[in-house]
Amino acid sequence: MRQLKGEIGVVAKADGSALFEMGNTRVIAAVYGPREVQNKGQQVNSKEALVRCEYRMAEFSTGDRRRKPKGDRRSTEISLVIRQTMEASILTHLMPRSQIDIFVQVLQADGGTRSACINAATLALADAGIPMRDIVTSCSAGYLCSTPLLDLNYIEDSAGGPDVTVGILAKMDKVTLLQMDAKLPMDTFENVMELAIEGCKAIANYIREVLLENTKRLECQRG
Amino acid sequence: MVGLSEGEKHFIRGGIAQDLRADGRRRLQFRSVSVETGVIPQANGSARVRLGATEVIASVKAELGKPSILHPDKGKVSIFVDCSPTAAPMFEGRGSEELSTELSVALQRCLLGGKSGAGAVIDLSSLIVVDGKVCWDLYIDGLVISSDGNLLDALASAIKVALSDTGIPKVNVSLSAATDEEPEVDVSDEEFVQFDTSSVPVIVTLTKVGKDYIVDATSEEESQMSSAVSVSVNRHGKICGLTKRGGAGLDPSVIFDMISVAKHVSQQFLSLLDSEIASAEAAE
Repeated sequence: MRQLKGEIGVVAKADGSALFEMGNTRVIAAVYGPREVQNKGQQVNSKEALVRCEYRMAEFSTGDRRRKPKGDRRSTEISLVIRQTMEASILTHLMPRSQIDIFVQVLQADGGTRSACINAATLALADAGIPMRDIVTSCSAGYLCSTPLLDLNYIEDSAGGPDVTVGILAKMDKVTLLQMDAKLPMDTFENVMELAIEGCKAIANYIREVLLENTKRLECQRG
Repeated sequence: MVGLSEGEKHFIRGGIAQDLRADGRRRLQFRSVSVETGVIPQANGSARVRLGATEVIASVKAELGKPSILHPDKGKVSIFVDCSPTAAPMFEGRGSEELSTELSVALQRCLLGGKSGAGAVIDLSSLIVVDGKVCWDLYIDGLVISSDGNLLDALASAIKVALSDTGIPKVNVSLSAATDEEPEVDVSDEEFVQFDTSSVPVIVTLTKVGKDYIVDATSEEESQMSSAVSVSVNRHGKICGLTKRGGAGLDPSVIFDMISVAKHVSQQFLSLLDSEIASAEAAE
């Protein structure tokens, strides 16, 4: 696992925000809401809150600078993945007729942006005080040169080995996100997934520490 | 969008008229500035600037390219700005395009000079590696992370700090015998050349609210503006660019007055920024 860093309250105007770093990967998440549904056409079920998510990469986040059109397919797919993962943990039935926006901005990409975004979004949602079932954390693992590896960086990821991204609800021990590319034998897959889940749990512990620290700070401020 | 009640609007306007703004500042006083350099390790130079609750990141990336046929003795510099949806929900999807373009164009006008590259803040001929064949392309990217008014001034100062942080790798050219061939270049990993950034201007935006004008407006104050004039001034007190925004017309004499005030304020802001840059570099 690479060095983790979490910071709460980085965007002053947002209801909740957080910065999350996994090694050289650095993302910012901001949460706006719960608020009134802005576009009534998007409301499917008036008994539950509408969760929306947008993932964006900064122009300078990758090694080679290239201009990509906004809303390319990769961003749309990751937005969808994050939205589904976060929706699973938010108690949407408590906030009928409202909308929650999650925006994630990648400042630096060095592999595992998906995981970092989910972890940042969890912190930001907690900062916004949105009721959640559990903390969602995510981590990726791979398999290179017949060794399972935790938390791949960009170079390891581009080596072409399999890459398993797992998201879990830490306390309930439920998997909410599972993605893999390339092929992997069944018994090795189990090992790699075990490793990824262990990574998720370690991140969950770290996120709890950050939240506790933040709550203590808030308590001090209130006196 | 900023939603304000009638009472709040009255309070903001009244405060500005009495030279005591909602956050306790005078009319010509900036919010606290904090500067950090080297925030993006992949870039050649980068900086984060916080102006109150406004936060922007600027990065400078250099890539080897070919100079244009019209100006074979000059490198190329381009500026792009993006507003992240983290700053405000209305920047979601394509919602930020209009503002991003407005900011990019205003910055290009102030920093890049004319089409020929004359009057640019960076000496474009210093970006040339081989005349007419190889040059450095500088890409300056601004990203708005958190927005509480006065984005243009924050972006311009972030770009100034990022440029002073930028090191362009030294290049060794091995000249081949045939002149038509592409020259071979060897980019050094250890030696870097720094720019002279003393003439890079800052932008001071004067926002007119009622009869008076203020510097460094917050988004609440900006919602009450009738018009705004952004003046870019360099260290020698020379004006490098000018943009007027907002619908209401201004009397020419008011504009001259605003320019002279901006010139005065910018010198204070420049010294403040210079000391922040020095302390940020010392901290690194």
